Amino acid sequence: MSFFRSLQDSAFTDWFLGSESIWTYPTVLTLHTIGMAILVGASFVVHLHVLQVAGGIPLQRLRQLYRFIWIGFLINLTTGLVLFVTQAADRIVDPVFYVKIGSIAVALWFGVLVKRRAVDRGDASSAITRQSRSLAAASLGLWMVAIVAGRLMAYLTS
Amino acid sequence: MHDFALWVESTRISKALFDITWLWPLCESLHFIGLCMLIGGAGFLDLRLLGLFRGLPLRDVKAMMPWAIGGFVVNATTGMLFLIMQPHLYLTSGVWWWKLTFIVIAGLNAAFFETRLAEPALALDPNADMPRGLKITGAVSLFSWFAVLYCGRMLPYLGTGN
Repeated sequence: MSFFRSLQDSAFTDWFLGSESIWTYPTVLTLHTIGMAILVGASFVVHLHVLQVAGGIPLQRLRQLYRFIWIGFLINLTTGLVLFVTQAADRIVDPVFYVKIGSIAVALWFGVLVKRRAVDRGDASSAITRQSRSLAAASLGLWMVAIVAGRLMAYLTS
Repeated sequence: MHDFALWVESTRISKALFDITWLWPLCESLHFIGLCMLIGGAGFLDLRLLGLFRGLPLRDVKAMMPWAIGGFVVNATTGMLFLIMQPHLYLTSGVWWWKLTFIVIAGLNAAFFETRLAEPALALDPNADMPRGLKITGAVSLFSWFAVLYCGRMLPYLGTGN
């Protein structure tokens, strides 16, 4: 606990949140939003195709989108860590934060399963299994939960 | 603009909406989800126009557009609600007017693509190099949507006028 308190009360946090510059907190926050757009945007495209509600692209052709998913994730892991450090003591006891992190972990995991079970195999759209479709739908839903939780953290905690 | 903002804020509808405590965070969440749909769908087409995903027929990529338009509608609606609830945050902010400008640029670019470029583009061999005109449209679209995102997210930090 005191470790997270010391992170939140560190000189870095003071500088990061207290600076008048737009290059500290505002820019990291904006990069976090850009990463989200890339990560969740690319996930949307993949999963909506697995669910067959976005046209008939052979799934294998969408493999490249996973590169964008990982780039977006990397941006958000990095910026997310910085944002966490500056609010560490508050976040570590915040249930909404755990909902957000938990949904991201499972959404990504399901995304990887969708890749292995449907996208990589390059089956015709008729061969997409019900299980793959359920995983895609669940992953989509969890990304939305993560977004809502991320937004709500700003409101539900003091 | 300032007077207009004050007038909007004095209307009964503005007050009534702003008094609903959960409406603002709900709209924010929807605005973020809509953003992902819009940038996901439109960005995919933009990247294809830039020459990525070679071999993928443009027609198949364009099939994603209803989702991008859906995302835009969600964001235009929630954005309008923000505007009605707290007009001074936006109307007097230079950054917000930049955001609006980039939305107009992205919209005009999309309309130009749809009316002038799409038909011959759909007839192209999916394995051929993208003509320069299509690459430019894709780049303009991608840049504009991310500029819209940037202006929106930075709005509270980049000189608001209130």
